[in-house]
Amino acid sequence: MDKEGVFELGIPASTEKGTLATASARKRKKKHHPFAVVFILPSLILYTLFVIVPTLGSAYLSFTSWDGISEDIRYIGFANFIEIWSSPRVHNALKNTLIMTVSLVVLENIAAIAMALMVDKVRWFKNLFRSIFYFPTLLSGIVMGFVWAMILNYNFGVVNQILNNMGLGSWTVDWLGDPKYAMLSVILSTVWKGAGYYMIIYLAGLQSIPPELSEAANIDGANGWQQFRFITFPLLAGSVTVCMVLSMISALKIFDQIAVMTDGGPGFATETLTYIIYKVGFGELRQGFGTALAMVLFVIILIITMIQVKILRKREVQY
Amino acid sequence: MLSKSKFKLTAALLAVTLTLGACSTSSSTNSDGNGSTSSSEKVSFTIGYASGDPAAKKAIADSIKKFTDANPSIEIKDMSENTSNSYLDWLKTKDAVGEFPDLVEMRDTEVFADAGKIVELPSDLIELFDSPPEVDGKVWNAPIANNVPQGMIYSKKAYADAGITDLPKTYDEFISIQEKLKSSGITPIVVGGKDIFHMGFWVNKFLIDEVYAEDPDWNSKKTEQAVSFADDNVVQAMTDYKELFQNYVDKGWLSTPDNQTASFLITGKAAQLYSGTWMFSQIEEADPSFEYGFYAIPDREGHVNVIGLPSPAGWTLSAEAAKDPEKTEAIKKFIRFFFEPEQYSQYLASVNGIPSTKAEVTYETGEAMQTALDLMSDPNVTKSLAINNWWGENLIPPQFRNWFYKKLQEMVLNDADVKTYMEQVDAEYDNQVKANSM
Repeated sequence: MDKEGVFELGIPASTEKGTLATASARKRKKKHHPFAVVFILPSLILYTLFVIVPTLGSAYLSFTSWDGISEDIRYIGFANFIEIWSSPRVHNALKNTLIMTVSLVVLENIAAIAMALMVDKVRWFKNLFRSIFYFPTLLSGIVMGFVWAMILNYNFGVVNQILNNMGLGSWTVDWLGDPKYAMLSVILSTVWKGAGYYMIIYLAGLQSIPPELSEAANIDGANGWQQFRFITFPLLAGSVTVCMVLSMISALKIFDQIAVMTDGGPGFATETLTYIIYKVGFGELRQGFGTALAMVLFVIILIITMIQVKILRKREVQY
Repeated sequence: MLSKSKFKLTAALLAVTLTLGACSTSSSTNSDGNGSTSSSEKVSFTIGYASGDPAAKKAIADSIKKFTDANPSIEIKDMSENTSNSYLDWLKTKDAVGEFPDLVEMRDTEVFADAGKIVELPSDLIELFDSPPEVDGKVWNAPIANNVPQGMIYSKKAYADAGITDLPKTYDEFISIQEKLKSSGITPIVVGGKDIFHMGFWVNKFLIDEVYAEDPDWNSKKTEQAVSFADDNVVQAMTDYKELFQNYVDKGWLSTPDNQTASFLITGKAAQLYSGTWMFSQIEEADPSFEYGFYAIPDREGHVNVIGLPSPAGWTLSAEAAKDPEKTEAIKKFIRFFFEPEQYSQYLASVNGIPSTKAEVTYETGEAMQTALDLMSDPNVTKSLAINNWWGENLIPPQFRNWFYKKLQEMVLNDADVKTYMEQVDAEYDNQVKANSM
């Protein structure tokens, strides 16, 4: 079977008519190309100026010892990357990034699917629930961070006040000042903020599943969990791919909540790669080193995203 | 066919116009970015200062308002909405987005001078001050105030309730007082550990007692690797620090910001706060009836060492602003106004500061501030500086301070061996010196 003919027209290319039709389609395609470029030109220019050029500039700076304020930019080869490789602080930040990313991706998506299922199934006040679950997403990370920092404050926070009033004073901890709980506090508050966004994507996916499949499963005697496991979840694979990739990228770049809630502390307990890039680049006058860290983070995100998409795409189901 | 071509041409022209329109919009925004000198009568400049301390922020904001009311032809754009996080972070970020203030409260003078970001203080302004500190033989700053001593601000009621009648004459007596306070049921000390700068108050108290009081050039020796953070004196200092934090500091110290510490004191949640004289105004404003005292904690030998040497910090002109003569004149006018005795005394009264000018400036002080002034005038009290306030040969890597304070937080939280941690600190200091020299 001629691949070209089947793809383009559904007619085997061996026929004269099929060959002529294929050639004519190719000619039409070629005619549109220059015109299409004109339409994408504005975006391409802006993307080049504000993304590609700074990225290439950053790649250059990552090989320098620039302090970010002077005009003296000295090339130092791979010294920054060697320091990254051997720095205990960077290793700690990588470890924290990994823990935070895995936790956020898993928890955000589980919460989002659960909320989407609830909103999809509920009969009354569907829109109200959807709004309530989505509302935290509208808050900026900074605002959310300030609010949760007050809620979790050891002395004045609502959480410890409630525990004390319930006679559970021994359960009160410094949620943001104790290394055992600081990371957990940041993760849970971020899940609270972010899950609503992915809920919308999952909800759209749920609503695109034909109801006849559920009805057929009901008739065959499948319970709720079986329906979810064998019908709903596989058909949500496309949404899962999108949400997992987006949540992974977002988790790897988490910054606002850490800046406001913990400043990377206590000590270095919640310092992630993104946060160390900011602290080193802006607070410690080591822009070159910070840029090298940013390049490393860029490569990590790229590799993880490529692997993730490849794995998740395989399980997507068409119906 | 003709109409199709016209359509395509129109669409292409529209696309190009939109792109050029977006470019021209962004460039016209940039030209108004940083307080330009307008061609009309009004001259404007931007000002940046550390606004983490509410009293200091209000005092400077009030000074700016009084100046602009008296000089309507000069506009001052106050950019100082930084939080209590590191001031250097904020300044560096502002520089990165092209908004370095025209007149800036400079604290890392040597670093910014080497980078060409600031200029020397105009010579006609230098004469306002009594021997201002020099960096590389030049005066860069108009010192906003002299460095004030830090010490223990204590609740008189808490001390009375614990049966404490005398202030400590040695560090061991100070520890005994902490035990008495603990036994009386009150948290002895509140620390605003959420703000990294606050950690420096206690760190430097111990470092000055054990290190800088004896050897003001310790930093330069450390840079040359002639001394070490793992030496006995530094280990002793940090051991005292760790023991204090583990035994006498409020449990929530890491999530308590600096601006909450006054309320801890006033509401009776804690008995003492180690800080500087700028806190007096905050305390008095929050509760005028709160009775408090102030004293410097002696070392084990009974000797008193405090922060009090001058350092190169204060109002500084940016290199960019210095290129504009009108702006420079407006800035000089503001600086002269700021340090006029009548206006300056109001500023100092707000922050309980010590004047840096040659001209005599007086203001009414309370008992606590008088204690601070007595410390400064007492020749038997050793004056020193915090680890990051030294300059010249004694300048430390700018990135070291915050890292060191956080490392000490980690040491306390992990109840770790002090010597082991000081060896790590020593290695990191050497790495940072090496990295900065590349």
